[in-house]
Amino acid sequence: MAGALSDLKIVELGELVSAPYASKLMADMGAEVIKIERPGIGDRSRKRGPFPGGQPHPEKSGLFLYLNTNKLGVTLDVATPEGFGLLERLVADADIFIHNLNPPEMERVGLTYERLARLNPRLIMTSITPWGLTGPYRDWRAEELTVWAAGGVCVLNGAGPEHPELPPLKTFGHQSGYQGGVHAAVATMGALMARLRDGEGQHVEVSEQETIASMLEMTFEYWPYMKMVATRLGAKPIQPVETMEAKDGYIYICCIEDHQWDRLVEVMGNPEWAKEEIFADRFKRAANWDALKVFLGEYVRQQTVLGLYKAAQAKRIPLAPVSTMGDLLNSEHLKARGFFVEITQPVAGTHKYPGAPLKYEKTPWQIRRPAPTLGQHNEEIFGARLGLDTARLGELRKKGII
Amino acid sequence: MAKKLPLEGIRIADFTWVWAGPYCTLQLAHLGAEVIRIETRTRPCVTRMLPPWPDGKFSGPDCSGYFNQYNQGKKSITLNFKYPEAHEVARRLIKVSDVVINNFAAGVMERMGFGYSEVRKLKPDIVMVSLTGYGDTGPYRDYVAYGPAQVPLSGLSSLTGYKGWPPMHAGFSYADPNAGAHGAMAVLMALYHRARTGEGQYVEMSQWECAIDVLAEGTLEYAMNGREPERNGNRDPLMAPHGNFKCLDWPDKIADQVVDRWISIVCADDAEWGRLAHAIGRPELANDPRFKTLAARKANEDELEAIITSWTSTRDPASAVEHLQKAGVAAGVVADARYLSQDPNLTARGYFVYKQHPEVGVKQHCGIPWRMSATPCEVRSAAPTIGQHTDEVLMGTLGYSRAELEELKKKHALD
Repeated sequence: MAGALSDLKIVELGELVSAPYASKLMADMGAEVIKIERPGIGDRSRKRGPFPGGQPHPEKSGLFLYLNTNKLGVTLDVATPEGFGLLERLVADADIFIHNLNPPEMERVGLTYERLARLNPRLIMTSITPWGLTGPYRDWRAEELTVWAAGGVCVLNGAGPEHPELPPLKTFGHQSGYQGGVHAAVATMGALMARLRDGEGQHVEVSEQETIASMLEMTFEYWPYMKMVATRLGAKPIQPVETMEAKDGYIYICCIEDHQWDRLVEVMGNPEWAKEEIFADRFKRAANWDALKVFLGEYVRQQTVLGLYKAAQAKRIPLAPVSTMGDLLNSEHLKARGFFVEITQPVAGTHKYPGAPLKYEKTPWQIRRPAPTLGQHNEEIFGARLGLDTARLGELRKKGII
Repeated sequence: MAKKLPLEGIRIADFTWVWAGPYCTLQLAHLGAEVIRIETRTRPCVTRMLPPWPDGKFSGPDCSGYFNQYNQGKKSITLNFKYPEAHEVARRLIKVSDVVINNFAAGVMERMGFGYSEVRKLKPDIVMVSLTGYGDTGPYRDYVAYGPAQVPLSGLSSLTGYKGWPPMHAGFSYADPNAGAHGAMAVLMALYHRARTGEGQYVEMSQWECAIDVLAEGTLEYAMNGREPERNGNRDPLMAPHGNFKCLDWPDKIADQVVDRWISIVCADDAEWGRLAHAIGRPELANDPRFKTLAARKANEDELEAIITSWTSTRDPASAVEHLQKAGVAAGVVADARYLSQDPNLTARGYFVYKQHPEVGVKQHCGIPWRMSATPCEVRSAAPTIGQHTDEVLMGTLGYSRAELEELKKKHALD
């Protein structure tokens, strides 16, 4: 059965995570995605791994392979006039062009929506940038950490009030990139719905800084509403809501409501200490956390993660394991749901990748092909599709344009 | 003539609450959908009761900055499902809706009589999305999922932390908005399919799985090599320096507390390191064998960070960042809410929203993270007070008469 987006053609000029993730989300639902990489170098994510055996290899990077499954891959130097001309031909019959060049790179290449829309007025062009296409920071440099911090999230995470010397802590991986990507997919799909009605394309721009700022839970509003600032150093108003060490790993003890704590006390076998007045409600448990963590910690240390998790969940207490990667790959729940999927790519071999974020009843999420090797589809796209002959392809290759 | 918004004319029967679901329908409201929240005064949405409240004073279910942030541009009706009349109202709403969405635990919608098999009888081409913590199937389908616990469950915590320290959190319930954004995308793709084929469908999602999808680098290390990635603070294997560096504290205290300030600095390659060395007045370090190459900087990273801190620690963060960016170095303020509220870039781009709200007045809220050239999106109104649109929706959209409406109210079916 065909995916929900099987009639869409997408051209992606993406590096690292944001634009590649946006087009991956659409490719997995059936869209054709042609990914453009720099000749000879390729996407930066090819360098980031993880790699089988820990040995860096541009065709074996787990991050690249994950983000670019289901895509066709070509190489093209769009900063040359000939290269840009080929880009124009590729987007001339595309529905969506998605990129994450920053504004100085866009200028260097000469990329504007107007230029591409002249050839294809139905084109939706989505630009994902760290700071946006306007504003005083538009030309500023940024990496993953820069945006995560400048969006207001990083300040929230860290070792807590006992260790003010330890810095605000980055969350693992490329979260600004992923959020830029999924929000770009949302905005792009919105533009596509508008095109179904109005018949015309448009330019969509997504700012990663704004994306992060839009997901700050209640913490941002503490300032406009109460002139208070949430940081990593704040004490928790309610306890226990903490990571604790168990016999065989870590578990997250989460009793936000008093009735959850009452049931956890039952799970623990109603110990005497739990009857103390200083632990009587969630606010007192927070005020007396120093004492509580000793008693509770001693209990938790004697439990297995899975044992305590299941015992608590049986009483509807929202405890959760601090899952390791092994826990995820071996989870009976995720296995039963068929979440991880095996993908074979000829150079990197067969590995298990995270699977579908959604299950559609009628239009499946599907793996149709592994991620492309660098320039794998140059002949197919530039030759068969755009009609360049072998001599011309050879010439472009010699000039380093493809 | 003003352009229509992308989703103008799309109506969403929004059964969601807390954060993941409301974050999802917020994106759809941003795109112009008519999002009608189905609420009840007998058990208001958790976030309606949580702080922050204006000046710290709780004044009922309309004063929460948390709720008011994630429900901008939506409508609210109240239905008390103890009464069959309330079910009838919901059925009539579903009949004229395009999307039904909920983030209850698996099975709750079925018990309310709004499982997919019932809903599709009311509206055959409906798109129905269920966004539960664990998904509709699998041995843990009935497990309780709370926002803060979904972060460690996802695997992010075991990957995040200072070197040699236990796992850390992300500092907020990250899996919620992450699932919400993926959910909004799922709705849009299903609507696109419906527009092409006339066919609606059921979409099942798990917040847990959405979160694993954004930490693939971690699971792949294990899948490829059977190894758990080591927690390594703010450092990066391919970039150095790569971290947050302490600056001067805020000059004034907040609630008697000193508030510290930090900036992030990243050098992606040797050239950027050279620019940084010059910018901090230590040009001789650019070619110093301890720091000249990435391998050298990684080997001497403690020393490297100490040198940078000795420069940042006497500086105001905004001007330090300005100075470094002028030199071509990736730097940024580690923004707290106070800084963010006046961030020059966000402010200049018109990101923040200031709408009149009947209970809290005009407060600064975060806005829409994208811009569209042909169909500009905007936050159309502040978050609704509870039941603000009950009369409007029942009479205007669902065809109830004033007399019928009053009758329902008298019976408490609209509490």
